[in-house]
Parts: sequence; structure tokens; C-alpha cells
Amino acid sequence: MRRALTLVLPSLLLLAACDGGGGGGTSATGAFDPATCQGGTLTVLNQGGITHLDPARLYTSGGGNIPSLLFRTLTTRNRQPGEAGAKPAPDLATDLGTPSDGAKTWTYRLRDDVFFEDGTPITSADVKYGIERSFAPELPGGAPYLRDWLQDAASYQGPYKQPEGIKAIETPDDRTIVFKLSKPEGDFPFLATATQFAPVPKAKDKGVGYEAHPISSGPYQVESYEPKKSLVLVRNTHWSSKSDTLRYACPDRIEVTAGLDAAVINQRLVSGAGQDANAATTDAPVGPEQLAQLGTGGPLDKQVARGEFPATYYLAFNTKKAPFDNQKVREALSYAVNRTSVVNALGGSTIVGSSTTFLPPQKALGYQPYDHFPAGDTGDPAKAKQVLAEAGVSNLTIELAHSNSDDSGYGPKVAAAVQEAFKQAGVTVKLTAIDDATYRDVTGKPATEPSASLQYWGADWPSGGPFLIPIFDGRQIITAGGNFNLAQYNDPQVNAEIDAINALTDQSTAQARWGALDTTIGKLALTIPLAHEKDVFLFGKNVKNAVPDGWRGTYDLARISVK
Amino acid sequence: MRALRRDRGFLVGAAIALLMILVAATAPLLAAAAGQDYTTYHDNLLDSARGGVPLGRLGGISGDHWLGLEPGTGRDLFARVVYGAQVSLGVAVGATILEVLIGLLVGTAAGLGGRWADGILTRLVDLVLALPILVIAISLLAIVPQDWPRPLLLATVIAVLGWGGTARITRGETLTLRTRDYVAAARLSGAGWFRIARREILPGLTAPVLTYAALLLPTNMVVEAGLSFLGVGVRPPTPSWGQMLSTATTWFRADPMYVIIPGGLLFLTLLSFVLVANGLRRALDPRQSEVLR
Amino acid sequence: MIGYLARRLGGAVLVLFGLSLLLYGLFYLAPSDPAVLTCGKGCTPERLAEVRHAMGVDDPVFTQYRHFLEGIVAGRDYPAGPNTRHCPAPCLGYSFETDQPVTALLADRLPVSASLAFGAEVLSLVAGIGAGLLAGLRRYRWLDRVVNGLVLAGYAVPVFLVGLLLLLLFCVQLQWLPFPTYVPLTTDPLAWAQNLLLPWVALAVIQTAAYARLTRAGIQETLAEDHIRTARAYGLPESRIVRRRALRGALLPLVTLTAIDLAAIMTSAVLTETMFGLPGVGQLLVGAVNQIDLPVVVGVTLLTGLLIVIANAVADLLYAAVDPRVELR
Repeated sequence: MRRALTLVLPSLLLLAACDGGGGGGTSATGAFDPATCQGGTLTVLNQGGITHLDPARLYTSGGGNIPSLLFRTLTTRNRQPGEAGAKPAPDLATDLGTPSDGAKTWTYRLRDDVFFEDGTPITSADVKYGIERSFAPELPGGAPYLRDWLQDAASYQGPYKQPEGIKAIETPDDRTIVFKLSKPEGDFPFLATATQFAPVPKAKDKGVGYEAHPISSGPYQVESYEPKKSLVLVRNTHWSSKSDTLRYACPDRIEVTAGLDAAVINQRLVSGAGQDANAATTDAPVGPEQLAQLGTGGPLDKQVARGEFPATYYLAFNTKKAPFDNQKVREALSYAVNRTSVVNALGGSTIVGSSTTFLPPQKALGYQPYDHFPAGDTGDPAKAKQVLAEAGVSNLTIELAHSNSDDSGYGPKVAAAVQEAFKQAGVTVKLTAIDDATYRDVTGKPATEPSASLQYWGADWPSGGPFLIPIFDGRQIITAGGNFNLAQYNDPQVNAEIDAINALTDQSTAQARWGALDTTIGKLALTIPLAHEKDVFLFGKNVKNAVPDGWRGTYDLARISVK
Repeated sequence: MRALRRDRGFLVGAAIALLMILVAATAPLLAAAAGQDYTTYHDNLLDSARGGVPLGRLGGISGDHWLGLEPGTGRDLFARVVYGAQVSLGVAVGATILEVLIGLLVGTAAGLGGRWADGILTRLVDLVLALPILVIAISLLAIVPQDWPRPLLLATVIAVLGWGGTARITRGETLTLRTRDYVAAARLSGAGWFRIARREILPGLTAPVLTYAALLLPTNMVVEAGLSFLGVGVRPPTPSWGQMLSTATTWFRADPMYVIIPGGLLFLTLLSFVLVANGLRRALDPRQSEVLR
Repeated sequence: MIGYLARRLGGAVLVLFGLSLLLYGLFYLAPSDPAVLTCGKGCTPERLAEVRHAMGVDDPVFTQYRHFLEGIVAGRDYPAGPNTRHCPAPCLGYSFETDQPVTALLADRLPVSASLAFGAEVLSLVAGIGAGLLAGLRRYRWLDRVVNGLVLAGYAVPVFLVGLLLLLLFCVQLQWLPFPTYVPLTTDPLAWAQNLLLPWVALAVIQTAAYARLTRAGIQETLAEDHIRTARAYGLPESRIVRRRALRGALLPLVTLTAIDLAAIMTSAVLTETMFGLPGVGQLLVGAVNQIDLPVVVGVTLLTGLLIVIANAVADLLYAAVDPRVELR
């Protein structure tokens, strides 16, 4: 139970130590100084390219941390290691926003010294227009929160069809922007870090074609961009470090190559031949090849960043379908699960940790340890059989849906591991593979939802709300599709508690309440938490200050140096 | 036949090929003899902190696990390899049989049919020969629903895209054979086309078609392995060699045995079938031109 | 001749038509909705319906297929925000995933696949003919055996196995070569060749085996023919006989094969491109297939089909030009 916590703490200490020494450099060179880190070309080697560079079309986690090199948003990630990094920080705005009307109205004031790449000053109208664009059906892909949160915006079709705009966003002057929400949202400063809050100059908007050269507000601008293939960034001369202390913007030039194999990327980072010494990656975590060389005191130990992105791998029950309408059955299976084989199937204990809680072990999300159905490391089939017998269930056969791709984290290997563990408890599991591309579609429609399925859930921002609400809020059950409340669980008391926490603007109070809520819901065994994500990323030997932040778990391109 | 008996390459190839077929046919028995199955996880034999690489030398080879373990899961590699042989060979043999059947049917029909039938069928064969097999197979296999029986589907897709060569050869041979005296005699005696095809033409086709089919078999095996490698082949947990090699790409240094065992077996099996085909070609049909593409 | 070409063209159009129809049909048989992927996580049903409409996938299959055909012949207009995008004929649509025009994507990826195919073909011709000559001319039995053995082994190794071993040996173990990344020929010819060397070798192995075998058989056959024997009887030097006559007879069949093979390699390089991470047409296809990106899947399939059809026609013409006995029909 304490295991997860003790695992986090040493890694955070390690990060702090790294920060002083500067990622790959020796500690003899002294502390990393953002004022003198400028110069050189950073190479980024990635697996998947950025499919869309349009700020309207990027999800909160889309594109790794590359988009934030181009787009400044009202607020941004605090970019610090550990817990401090899990907080939002002002970016285009002067502060985190002023809530009023019980957190139903949020007012932001823009800085005076912010400009687009062509030198035009950024105004509140540009921010408003950027948000409105993200409502256009021609530009899909962004996070869904604004449609839900803004007053009367759910059916807005974007500025191309409805140029009158969204009434719930007011711009009384060039510097001020006011958001009117339909219910209290204490997490608004977190949402304002999304790229939909990046300014877009209306005169330069080309609709779908905008992403060929999106107008930058950040330290870099696009020199060339080919989706899923390459992206070259050069300095934006109208950006100034005085207006932006969070982005160090060390390299003069950043060249992203995508479409590479993860094994090849990591091998290149290890070999570090030529330009590869100045290379980093945002989406290729270490593979088994490098794990073997890590932690041995070898040279590679200086080229690794260990962080944790808050995410949980779990098994979801559909409580509307037998036998999972029976809580005893769900409990019995919770006892039976073998988390060691799940962890191994996901890549081993260095890159995933076993979980007994739905919330991953980050304080920012309100994590509180609990283990309601102790299964030990390898499962407790005897206890599972006993609980099944108590429930009067015998010869149980269940179906378990999983993706056909192991890359997803809910693929055949994990499914087979669960199948094996349940077999020990006398439960037969029939596996159903669903094509990865349609997996969320099939499981997200109550009409087609399987009785049990493997799932992965990551935090859109480090707070308990986006982690728990879509999964357990009964009002979030969407029958037409896109549903994440797979248990189809609807308890008015829980819904009321969610509303109460949402109205809180003090994060530490909110964290305690989210944690308590998770502990309470956990008793119902609506899910079986299996494991949580850890992120281990390599970087080239010349790369300095590659420190993972507490928000994304990976190092931040805006702060690393290759000089 | 005597030539075959003296062809050492053929004999060695045939021996290995037969062994592999035997292994594939008796996979459940072999796994049972080893006391293993291809689904059980052995987590206690893996080094979890190092990504789940098998403990011990040579990928965890031991008295219990004759070829070691699959990294990441600890499933018995011997059991997975012998079941993998079943998939590889099964799909290849199935596809080859289907190809030969379709090819014979279309080829004889073109060869014996009238000018029109021949013209249309020949055009059709040309078209099939012109299809980019791998590309279409990937598209098709990715699009069809997940729950269709995979090995059968693979064999069918490979066959439907690959029967052109057999048809072309059959047609050519049929055209030659139909000019022979005994065929003409049969025609004069009032025999129908179907009867002629069955009685007079088919026996004459045996040698060239057999030679060609022997070469098709390893070709189809390569295609299956390639499709599995790309992730559109058989679905896990069903093992296949191509699929193993696909995951092995991330393990080649940490666990070289996981590359060597399925890779070596695939190579050996293919080589044995090529040797057999080569021997057959030399013995049955020394003048036949290059057909393996 | 013109009639021949017309028939060929008609056949090609028919094949491509059938292929696209098949892909469309199967695509809509499968229960996959590309709009779900495009719309992203947490997409509401109302939003999904709007996105589906914007993508044009809410029409019945036949309407969509008709639009697709119209696009090829006359071009199409797509909604794109402030104004519409015109996709000129032959329009294969826009990628569901990245919104790029499929024709532009293909044009961008084709040079990579062509570079790969060209180099591999040259390499396998040189190596194959060389090995075939050595084995066919000198009657050393051991050399003949070695070549024959290599040829057989060449048939038996799948390209991804060779690729894996080459990467292991030259990039990881010895570090003699960089991990392949595609550099356009026009940017830096030397880097182009250096980066493509391993993929070329991997891809050339099978073809080399085939060419060596053909050359060897051809040489041995022609050397046994009457006119060679006559030349020998006239006392012409052996080297001249080989150069002037035997070689020519043996290599003619290769000429026609080259055209077909070039197209075949280009379209079958899927595995090589995936293995080495080269941004060619094959890699494009594999990526599109995983993202149910129908326009790209159809586009790649049609392009490769077209290439092979053209190559076959060229091969036939070449064959007719080389061998006057062949009649085109």
C-alpha cells in the first residue's frame, strides 16, 4: 500500500538532484543558467508525428510539449519538477484568473508585452477568436470541456457559420477577457493551459489550411511542417524572454523528425552519433534494450529522465450487465487479479507501477492510498473463490474486451495476464479483441459496451476532477457514444459531492476531497485498478536540463539546452 | 524419381520440411510433452525492473522451458514456437492449395474454351498478376472485422490475390496438350470438354503445376510472416513466427534468443521448402523457366 | 499497337475501378467510424454528428463513392472554414487523419519509394548478373555450388529478417553506418546513398537470387546453341563469343523483367520502409490503415496498382521490341 508512495519520493529527490547538475552535464559546470543556455540545434526524434498543428485541433496532451513552443495560452504548466510542476502558472495573462460569482465567472487580464510573430500585439479578441474556432466542426480534435462549461455554447458551430461568436466570452477591452460558465469550475486555470486558449489573428485564419503555418505567439515559429513527418522551428524574434520566464527557449533551432521506430529512436539516443548527441524525444519511452543498461552506474544513467504522468490502467465493469451487477462478483475478481503479470505485460516495474487505487499516486490529484480488496502482488485466488461462493456463484464465465494492439496499454498481453489470473480463481475468461482504432467507439456506446473491458485513463490536467468526473459522475453517462462512465454508475450523493468540489478554488482543500471520494467509490469495486504509468525517457549526451515536470512526466523542450 | 533420390539438397530439404510439418501437426502433443502451454504466464522467471527480460542465460532456457521464455510475459517459447509452426505452415499450405485449385480451374477453362473465353480469362489473369499483393492484403486485412477467423482469412486473401501464376502456367500447358493426338482423338470420339479436361489434360498438368506449387508454398509463408510482422496477421494470443519477430525488434540486444529462435526456424523452414521445390523442378521439369517471383 | 495500348488501358481502368469499389465496400462493412478518431476524446454525440457531416462520411456509401469518382474525373470542393478548398482532378480526397490532399501525400512519398526501388534494382542487377555469370561461365563446380546455395538462401530469407540483422550488425554493433533516415537525392546525393544503403541491400537480396539464377541458366543455354558452336568452330576467341553473343542472349530476358520488378519492388517495399522507418508510400499505407484513413488507403492502393499495370505494359512493349517473334495482342 505504501509502495506506490515510496516509489515516487526517491524519484522526485533524484530529479531535484538532477536539476542542480543539469541533465546530462557534470555537476562541476555549476547550476544550469537559463540566461546563458542559448544556441545550437535540438533534434527531436519521434514515433508519431504531430497530425495537426492547429491550436484548435490539439488535445490537452496532443503533440507532446511541442505545441507550447509555438503557442502561449492564458495560463500554462508551471514547468517545475515534482509537485510544483503540477500547478498552472500565468502565461499570456498576468495571473491565474480572478473567479467571481462562486467560480462561475473567470476574468483574465493580458500582459502588455506579448506579440505575434509578425509583431502585432496580442489582444483579448485574438484569444476569444481562437476559442471560437475550436467549435467549428471543420476543426475537430480538441478537448470537449469548453462546450460543456461555457454558458449556452454546446451547439455553437464556430465563427465560419456563426460569425457573431460566443456570448459567454466577453472582451470589454483589448486586454481583458471574461468567461461566463454555466456552473462553478474551480479548475478553470488548468483548462486555460489548453491550446484552444492560444490567440489566433482572425485576418490570418485560413480554416483547415491554417495549420500549415499557424501564427506563433511563443519563442519559436514554424519554418516548415509536414504532418506526421517533420517540423522545423526557428526563433520568433518578437517573443521576449522578459515576457515569458517559464520557457527558456535555449536552442536556436528545433528539428523534429517523426515516423521513426521507438527502438531505433532509443538506440540513436544511446549511440549519440553526430547530431544525435543533441537529440531528444517526446514520445518514445525507453524500451527493454535500454532498461537493461539503466541503473548500473553506466554512462546511460546520466541520460535519463524519470517522471510520472498521472494515468491509470484499469479493468472497467459494466454494472448494467450480469454478472457484474453483483458487487460480490466484482469484489471476487478484484481479489483474483495478478498485478505482477499485468505490470510485466505493460513493460516491467521500471515503466509502470501496480495500483490498487483508481487515482494515480500524485498528490496533485488528491491521491490517498487504499487497498480494499488486498490481492497481494500475484493475486489471492483462494479469497476470490471464497467470495464467489458466498455470492452463490459457480462456474463463472465472463467476457473481457481488449484492443488488438499492445501499444495501447490495454492490448492482448494485458488481457491474457488477466485471463490467466482469473483462471486460478476458477473463472473462465473469453477474450474479445476490438480494433484499436474503434476501441473507444465500441466501449463508449452503452448499446455496444462489453460487460468488461480493459481501459487506460490519463489526466487532462493534474487535478482530481478531470480524472474522476467522466468515470463516476452519473450525469456524464452519454448514451449516444463517447461515454467514459463505463460502470454506468449514478449516485446522486456522489454527483452532489462532485459539484461541491468543483466550486472550490483552493486546490489543497479540493485535493483532499477528491482523494476521499476516490476511496469511497473504490469500495464498490466498479473498476479494478491495475497499474499506473511511469515515464522513463532518454536524451542525447549533449542535452542539458532535461528535467521532467510534475504535469507531463517528461522533460520540457522549452527548457532543455544543447549548447 | 531416381534423380530426386540422388539429389542431396532435395533430400535434406525434404527431411527438414517433413519434420516441420510433423511439428506443426503435433504441436499440442509436443507442448504437452514439454509440460507447457502457450498461454501461461511465468512472472517469477522474469526480471521486471529490466522490462520483463527472462532471468537466466540464453533467454531463460532451462529443463522446464526448452527454448526459454517470451520476454514480457514469460510464456513458454517452445510451446509458442511449435504452435507458431502450425499457423505459418497451415496458412501457407491452405493458401497454396486454394491457389492451385483456382489456377487449375481458370487455366484449363482458358486453354480449352473458345477464343472469347480465353481472351477474357487471360485478361483476368493478367489483372490478377498485376495486383500489388502486399498492399491490397494489408488494406483488406485491416478493414475486415476483427472476429472473422483469422488464419482462414489470411489463407483466403493470399490465395485470392495470388492464383494468377498457376492459371497462366496451366493455360499454357493446356494449349500445348490440346494439340496432342490423344486429345484430338478423344475429341473426335465425342468426349465433352469436362471429360477431356479431367481425363486427358489434368494428368499432363501434374508435373508443371506441382513444381510451381512447391515454389508457391515458401512464397506464401513469407507473405504470411510479413503480414503478421506488420500486425495484420493472426491475432494474439495465437502465436506466429512473423508476429514474434515483430516484437523481437525491440528485444534484439536484451534477449537475442527471442530473435534467433523464431528467425532461425523461419529461415530453416523456408530454405527446406525452397530446396524441395528446386529438386522437384530439376527432376520433373528441367526446362521450365524461372517462376518464383 | 494503338489498339493494344487501348485494350491495356481499358483493363487497367477496370482493375483500379474494381479495387476502389472493393475497398469502399469493405470499409463500410466494417463497423468503424473515422469521425470518432478525428473528433477526439470526450467528443459529444452532437459534435460527432457535425464532424461526420464536415468530413462527408454521413452520406450513404454509394453517394460517397460517387463523389469519390466525380473527384477523380472533375475535382471536388471541400468545406474548410472561411472558404472552401478546391481539390483539382484527379482528386483522391483529403486524408481523414491529417487533412492533406492524398495526391500531394503520394507525390511527397513516391520519391522515397522510388529511390528505394531504383537502388535495390541496380544493386540486384549488378550482383545477380555478376554471380550468374561467374557461375554460368566458369565451369568450376564449387563456384557454381556456392552461387546456387546463396541463391536458394536468398529466396528463403524474408526481407524484414535481413533488415533486422543488417541494422543489428552495422548500426548497433559496428556503428559503421547511421540509422537510416531519408535524405532527398537533390539535397545531398552522398547522404542519400549512405542512408539508403542498408535498405537497398535488404531489399535486393531476393531479387539478386532470381537474377543470378536467370543469368546462369541463360548463359548455359546460349553457350550450347548452334550459332555459338559455329562461332567456336570458326576459331573466334572465347572472350569475344561470350561478350558478343552469349551475354546478349542471356541478358535479354532480364531487360523486360527489370521494368516489372522496379514497380514490384516499389510496391512491395512496405516491410522495408516500416523496418527502416523510411517515409515512403508503404509506410504511409501502414499508418493510414491503423487510423482507418480510407482516402489514403484507397489512394496508395490505386497508385501501386497503376504503377504495376504501367510496368507490365512497358515490359510487354520491350519484349516485343527485343524479340520480333512476339506479337502484341
